[in-house]
Amino acid sequence: MKLTPQKISALLLALLLSGCASEGPSAGGSFISYPFRNDVADAEVMGKWARSCALCHINGEAGAPVVGDEQEWRRRLARGEREVLENVLTGYNSMPALGYCMACEVSDFRAMIAYMAGTNP
Amino acid sequence: MKKLSRRSFLASSVRAALFGAYATSGSAFAQSAPWSNWSGGQTCKPAGRYDIASERELTSLLRNTLGPIRPVGSGHSFSPLVPTDGHLVVIDQLNGILDSDNDKKQVTVGAGSRLGDLGAQLESIGQGMINLPDIDRQTVAGAIATGTHGTGVTLQALSAFVTSLRLVTPNGNVMDIDGSDADLLHAARVNVGALGIVTQVTLQNRESYKLKKREWAAPTEDILANFDELAASHRHFEIFPLVYSDYSLVLSIDETDEPIGAIELDPQPSDDASIAESLGLSDNPSPAERRRQSNATASRIQPSENVDLSYKVLSNVRNSLFNEMEYSVPIEVGAECLREILKTIYDQAIDVNFVLEYRYVGADDDWLSMSYGDHPHATISIHRAASEDYRPYFNAIEPIFWKYGGRPHWGKVHSLTHRELTRLYPRFEDFMELRRELDPQGRMLNPHLRALFNA
Repeated sequence: MKLTPQKISALLLALLLSGCASEGPSAGGSFISYPFRNDVADAEVMGKWARSCALCHINGEAGAPVVGDEQEWRRRLARGEREVLENVLTGYNSMPALGYCMACEVSDFRAMIAYMAGTNP
Repeated sequence: MKKLSRRSFLASSVRAALFGAYATSGSAFAQSAPWSNWSGGQTCKPAGRYDIASERELTSLLRNTLGPIRPVGSGHSFSPLVPTDGHLVVIDQLNGILDSDNDKKQVTVGAGSRLGDLGAQLESIGQGMINLPDIDRQTVAGAIATGTHGTGVTLQALSAFVTSLRLVTPNGNVMDIDGSDADLLHAARVNVGALGIVTQVTLQNRESYKLKKREWAAPTEDILANFDELAASHRHFEIFPLVYSDYSLVLSIDETDEPIGAIELDPQPSDDASIAESLGLSDNPSPAERRRQSNATASRIQPSENVDLSYKVLSNVRNSLFNEMEYSVPIEVGAECLREILKTIYDQAIDVNFVLEYRYVGADDDWLSMSYGDHPHATISIHRAASEDYRPYFNAIEPIFWKYGGRPHWGKVHSLTHRELTRLYPRFEDFMELRRELDPQGRMLNPHLRALFNA
């Protein structure tokens, strides 16, 4: 099952309403309106993302790059996907290893990085 | 310079341990992800992960598979409760409010719910949790299983607010456990993930409420001299003693009807760890110099006040990763134990900046609770930045906890085994017997738990 941008927006809205982004006043408007190019992340991966990465990457908590901030993600990915992936697996700055996704395998993390960076085809 | 080198070494060591195969393998991306806890202090390479979507899926899994398994919540335990070369069982899909009773102020939640996610959900139905730990990223199952607690001499650990729970045993049987079998409930609440996998939990809450937090700095001895009275006169009261200092950061929290908002008397870092880190010590200062600098910094800290919904006041986001050791000791010796720890750090010139934490926790009846018994306990925590080797510091301090009859927090670093634990926890042998009964094959054990339970 593929998530459409509409479904993604609905999911994110639900997350915001459930309090995930309650402390990030700027997250609501700017985040949901991002024109995501990628709708290829499947529901299973997106579910994992919503239960883990979303904790910080929706509102940029602790300096986390915000989902859909293509410029920031492009800057980070300029050093190669492998480096970003290693940062996820071992932790980076305030992000703990695995970014709170205890269920994620490497392929999940790759999909999530691509989703947040908007680099999925 | 020395500190930077050590950090670099540790960081590269962790990467090497986790990426040894990854870095040299042409098919690296196909590899199963290693597992690490929040701080990076515990790692393993599990054979795989079971990402459980339903209780039925879990029972089927347990009935139809063999081999070691370990449940994992948010990975916030600093002790090796999780590491396994078998399979991890992840339950964070079992989340959210499943049922609620607003008359009793109770909710049944999926055991994989994160504490931090429940706050707003409970608020929307007019409920609030009675207490919360300092960090709220943990799952309900993980927090309860490890005896995680908040602060308050009359407030028990989170496990004590569990009125019932559903446990799927290692052979796939489902047990609904409640107060009708009080002994079993007291055993199953703080279970360190050794009795089975908890899928849902009913929590006793209260009506939603607001809290007023006050923070200030004060001489540690002044506070310790009146700690019992202060703890009794506030809903929550604790101190964060600064190392190499005569001062502590003091925190009191009380219920209030005042409007939500901060009263910043003088802007200060909100993260206590960052205050400690900002003490700005020069390279290799003497203990006396560190004390002088720390006291000077602490004396400049101005009080602050803040009012907010309970769940926003009780828990904090900790942006500095660290490892932690925490023991509970009888209240009567709490201050003495704390003083000895601070003196040891000073006398041995242990290179640490992190604050300690000293607080009271209410007594309860859960067999493996740090506060099991008839009286509240004092708990003392020590911390070390995740980028630094915590072992020399913790090894130097842990015997002090033992001297005062300390009981370890199951989710935090400690080195005790069943020999000591049976003396510290009156019902420990009963728990071991129950564990053997529910998991005779030891499927849910890893090396750490085998040492705990003599299995």
